[in-house]
This record gives sequence, C-alpha cells and structure tokens, in this order.
Amino acid sequence: MLGAGLILFLAALQGATELFPVSSLGHAVVVPPLLHINFNESDPSFVPVLTVLHLGTAGALLILYWREWVAIVRGFVRAALRGRITDPDERLAMMLVVGTIPTAVVGFFFLTPLTSLFGHPRASAAFLIVNAGILLAAEGFRRRDERAHAVRTPGDVRHASGDPSYAGVEGLSLRAALVVGACQIAALFPGISRSGVTMAAGLMAGLRHQEAARFAFLLATPIILAAGLVEVPQLGPRGPGAGLAVGAAALAGVAAYLSARFLLRYLRFGRLDPFAYYCAALGAAGLILLR
Amino acid sequence: MRANPPLAVALVVLAVVFAGFSVFYFTTKTSLLAGDAAIHYKHAIVFAVLAVLALVAANFARRGTASD
Repeated sequence: MLGAGLILFLAALQGATELFPVSSLGHAVVVPPLLHINFNESDPSFVPVLTVLHLGTAGALLILYWREWVAIVRGFVRAALRGRITDPDERLAMMLVVGTIPTAVVGFFFLTPLTSLFGHPRASAAFLIVNAGILLAAEGFRRRDERAHAVRTPGDVRHASGDPSYAGVEGLSLRAALVVGACQIAALFPGISRSGVTMAAGLMAGLRHQEAARFAFLLATPIILAAGLVEVPQLGPRGPGAGLAVGAAALAGVAAYLSARFLLRYLRFGRLDPFAYYCAALGAAGLILLR
Repeated sequence: MRANPPLAVALVVLAVVFAGFSVFYFTTKTSLLAGDAAIHYKHAIVFAVLAVLALVAANFARRGTASD
C-alpha cells in the first residue's frame, strides 16, 4: 500500500502537471524514482490512487468551466432532439462529443494492455521526449504559418493575443474537432500529455494558443471524469482510506485549478516551447539516471 | 451535411446493435472484449452510450445540418 505522505505528494504532482502539457502520468512514473522516493508503480493501489486524483482534477475543470458546461449540456440535448445545430453552444457540444468518442472507445478497450507500461519509468521518460518533440513541432508549424501570414511579433517569442489570423474554438469544423480529439489517444501512453497533444493539434488546426488550451481542457474533462468514475467501484480495500482519498483529490483539484488558470493567462502571449524543453530535460534525465 | 436517409437507417441499425451488446453485457457472463468471464457493467454502459450517440447521429443524418 502507498503511504499517506506519498499519496499527497502524488496528488500535488498530479494536480500541478495534469493540465500543463507535460504529462501527469509520465511525472507520476518518472519523478518519484528520480527523487529516490521508492514505491512500486505496479502496486495494486497505484492506479486506484491515480483514479482518485483524476476525480479531483476533473472537479477543478468542471468548476473552472461550470457555466460553459451547463450551456454545453443544454446545447447537446437541444441539438440531439432537433437533429440540427443552430447556435454556438450546440456546435461546441457536438464538437466535444465527436472529439471524445475515439479516445473514449480506444481507451476503454485498450487501456489495460497499455497499463503494463506504467511500471517502466524508462519507457515513460522516452515518451516525455516524444512529447517534447510534438510540442516543438506544433510551435514550429505555427511560427512558419505566422510568418506566412506576415504576423510579426517582437523577437518571434510572443504571439499576438486575439490574433484574427487564427480562430476561436467555435470556428473549428466538426471534422477538425474529431481529429484534435482523436489525438488524445496518444496520451494513453504515459509520458505523452493529453493536453499537450490536443493543444498541439489545436494549433495546427488554426486555433489561437489560448483557445487551443481551452478546447484541450474542455475535451479532457469528460475523459478524465469518466476514467475516474469507472474505476471508483474497484477502489475497494486497495485504494486509500476515505479521508485520505478526499484530501488527496482536493489537493490535486486545487493544484489543477491554479495551474489551469496560470496556463490560460500565460498562453495569451506565451508559447509551448518552455514546456517542451522541460519535458525533454526530464525525459533525458530519466533515461540517463533510471535503470 | 445534407439529409441522408440511408445513412440514418444505417445508424439506427448500428444503434440497435450497440443496444444489443449493452443488454448482452448486462445479462451474460462473458469474456468477449473483456478480461475474464463475468458480467461487465462498464462494457454495458459504454455500449448503451454508443447506442444513444448512434441515434443522435441518425437524427442528424435524417434531417441534415447546415454546419459541416
């Protein structure tokens, strides 16, 4: 069984990294052995603990976007009954549905084989480097596109907030939403960030940085929530006690809420490159130092 | 997308298939697409959700939609 201190450490780590494009699961697997915090990732209580932490993160996302989620749910029901999309809320709801289905289905039927990778920190470290490559490729693509659009920003470090050359989420086609959402499948590999790949895909689909993050967070919410809920019945005696579980979920939720707010503010002008360099460095450290 | 009645019919058939799988998983001990022979409620719920979504898609295909 994992100790209370370790569970709270994982809660803070998971909450802080889940919404950053750096892979929370990759961190949960790679960071503890790097810090010589010894526990077995194959421990039967590890996945139940992560499940509890995911519920905390999903709660944070629901709180962050609760007004939007009310509108989205209403929009979905209206559009589903009418068989026609007539307003932006209905359109966003349908984009989230088509973007979620591929990952939900693949994750549900193939997650178990992939969980065997959870116990291999070096594999996660390698995937962290892949994640860095994805983020850098997306930003490279965007920079080239910005040059093509003659979007000039100081030193080519900051992009323009509200740039009319790029779209908000509502400007995305359903087909593009499907592709962006399907990219979440890559995040079933520990070390590949769910928010990272969806933000990268969003940028390549023509979304502004902040909107790519918003769409990534909205797409992540049902997946994270469902992943947590379906595992709850299996918590049983292998999971943490009720008090510890609630405390860990709350800690993860607060950390996730703060990191999401920070990221949305940062991406008004910032890019994903620093997260890519960080992932590359952590992945390299993992490959070199872990056996 | 313009109205596409044949697609709507196909999606309704798919919804019925999904609903059948849902009932199957709710009522039968099986290892089909699952680890061990047991009643798999999660599989049943997933197929029920897929059945509902197929019906929603059929409704869109039946009436057509202006977007995409």
